[in-house]
Amino acid sequence: MERRRAAFLRTTAFRQTLLSAALFALSSFVILGFVYAASAGMMLRRADAAVNAEVEVLEERFQLGGIASLNRYILQRTVGGGADYLYVLVHPSGRSMSGNLTGLPSGVQPDEEGRIQFVYQRPPVGDEAGEDGKDDRTARGRIVGLPSGYRLFVGLDVHEETRLVARMLNTILAASALALALGVAAGIFVSRRFVRRLDRINSVARRVRAGDLQPRAPRNYTGDELDELSENFNNMLDRVEALMHRMRHTGDSIAHDLRTPLTRMRNRLDEALREGGDLDAREQALERAVADTDELLGIFNAILSLSRLEAGESRTSIVRLDPAEIANDLAELYEPVCEDDGLAFDSEIQTGLVMLGDRGLLSQALANVLDNAVKYTPPGGAVTLRLRETGDGRIEFSVTDTGPGIPDADRDRVTQRFVRLDNSRTKPGSGLGLSLVQAIADVHNGRFELGEGPGVVEGGHGPGLRASLSFPRAPAEPG
Amino acid sequence: MRILIVEDDREAASYIRKGLRESGHVADHAADGEEGLEMARAAEYDVLVVDRMMPRMDGLTMVETLRKDEDRTPVLILSALGEVDDRVKGLKAGGDDYLVKPYAFAELLARVEALARRRDPETVRTKLVVGDLEMDLLARTVVRDGEEILLQPREFRLLEFLMKHSGQVVTRTMLLEKVWDYHFDPQTNVIDVHISRLRSKIDKPFPRALLHTVRGAGYRLQA
Repeated sequence: MERRRAAFLRTTAFRQTLLSAALFALSSFVILGFVYAASAGMMLRRADAAVNAEVEVLEERFQLGGIASLNRYILQRTVGGGADYLYVLVHPSGRSMSGNLTGLPSGVQPDEEGRIQFVYQRPPVGDEAGEDGKDDRTARGRIVGLPSGYRLFVGLDVHEETRLVARMLNTILAASALALALGVAAGIFVSRRFVRRLDRINSVARRVRAGDLQPRAPRNYTGDELDELSENFNNMLDRVEALMHRMRHTGDSIAHDLRTPLTRMRNRLDEALREGGDLDAREQALERAVADTDELLGIFNAILSLSRLEAGESRTSIVRLDPAEIANDLAELYEPVCEDDGLAFDSEIQTGLVMLGDRGLLSQALANVLDNAVKYTPPGGAVTLRLRETGDGRIEFSVTDTGPGIPDADRDRVTQRFVRLDNSRTKPGSGLGLSLVQAIADVHNGRFELGEGPGVVEGGHGPGLRASLSFPRAPAEPG
Repeated sequence: MRILIVEDDREAASYIRKGLRESGHVADHAADGEEGLEMARAAEYDVLVVDRMMPRMDGLTMVETLRKDEDRTPVLILSALGEVDDRVKGLKAGGDDYLVKPYAFAELLARVEALARRRDPETVRTKLVVGDLEMDLLARTVVRDGEEILLQPREFRLLEFLMKHSGQVVTRTMLLEKVWDYHFDPQTNVIDVHISRLRSKIDKPFPRALLHTVRGAGYRLQA
């Protein structure tokens, strides 16, 4: 649990929220600081302006009537309290002559404009008195030097203003601290949630690694990043599971397909050993064992070339070629084969077409399809090889036979590896032929499709199979 | 014939060597490309059988080096890889024929003997003769015992190949490769069917058969 807690502090989510909380706190501090500076400054400037105006009035009074007139004026203003301003008139000797303050504060250095700010004690007025009966208040004003060493202070009580400013400052600091604290709390909350959801995905990954392919990452279908991650993760697991399944199936099929010829071979060799003196029988058994080995090697080679084609590792030599040449060569190769098997062979080959392809691979694909037609069509039937340009401008090789055909439901299945509809596996074949055709079609961006043949024909054959390999036409040659 | 086997797999090498000796040939063995190159330079061989993947110097490099030295000894390249591009690379490097492992010994023997034949001075022959069977390569005619035999173009090429290798075994795979230029094995016995067609034209009407089936290997045209 301790490790967990430490772990969430390290999470990206937590760090991100912490960072944004800090940024938020800092920016609110800056904004409030600006407001503070502006309003505090404004209040003090207003007080200063009022003081300047009063100083002008008093200076005028002094110029007109001298120090006595000024003194009298101040006395008049301050008598009985309740004056708007604070005044002190100081004699060159340092004695305070008049005013509503006891004297000038000592030790306060005026600034360049002669302004000072200091704390004074106001006599208690009403219930505003402090605990000790005294009332500490802030005054702000100007000291003006008059001829002959007199000095005059005019100021204002800025106690409320400074208190307001101080409270504002405290509020700003508190708000910033609160923003920071809230941000951190939010960060903890968000990152905990985030970590919990990630943990669920991670635990699925751990279980899968341990060999259980069933679990899937939980989803909340909000489409957020984690949900998307879960979805991708699950899709990946689906794919892995399908591949594992296929691999297992392939493995089983390989085992099955290899076991039969291996057993047969083993029995023949065993028989040959026991045959004793009969050399002919012995030789025959050995020859057949060699043939069985060749069959096995053939299956291995087919698996290898299929894998290489499917993995795209096999570098093909795709060039512009005339598909009619390929079709003619194969027609010529298979015609006698069909005739020997009692099948009528016919070919309809359109000339003048151009496509991009690998002659060897295309020939092999067509040969596989023709092999199947010959293998599965009963004597008396017919096999037709066609090459034509289809209505939608594709180049299509097709082989039609009058054999039993392939049921609609199985047509997609037969191009998978090792799928053989002939479950007893009495006909020779690896179950890889059509997979190879499909892979070759894929390499050429082509399509391999199986459909119904000509239907039931006389003699009870049918419905037949139509295997079609179609490819895009070659683009016009540049230049 | 004197044959050099360059192959790092000792068992495979001894299998070939034994087979070649039983067929009446002299066979030497080199265990890698460098040794093979030395031996090929030191002695005259009729055919080299070279494995593609070997330590120290691979087969293709060895053959390329020989060819640069103007050594024209026919080379049969053996390879575990079996794709078209591999074959093309092998032939480009200077190999004369290409055989994919695993192979039947009969296949290897047939190819080695066919390669040795190629070494004969390549005078441009316009006429092939096997017994009473004659082929005129210019007029594209075939005559047996004074009787003209009409052949389809592919049958003509098939017979031409058989006659050029008369007295030798040619395998079905060799015929598919050299006559049809197909480098895959169709499942059906297409070659047998074509041979039997040819046989019905050149042999059947005559008392003595020229085209023989060699069990477990292929065919041989022999007077």
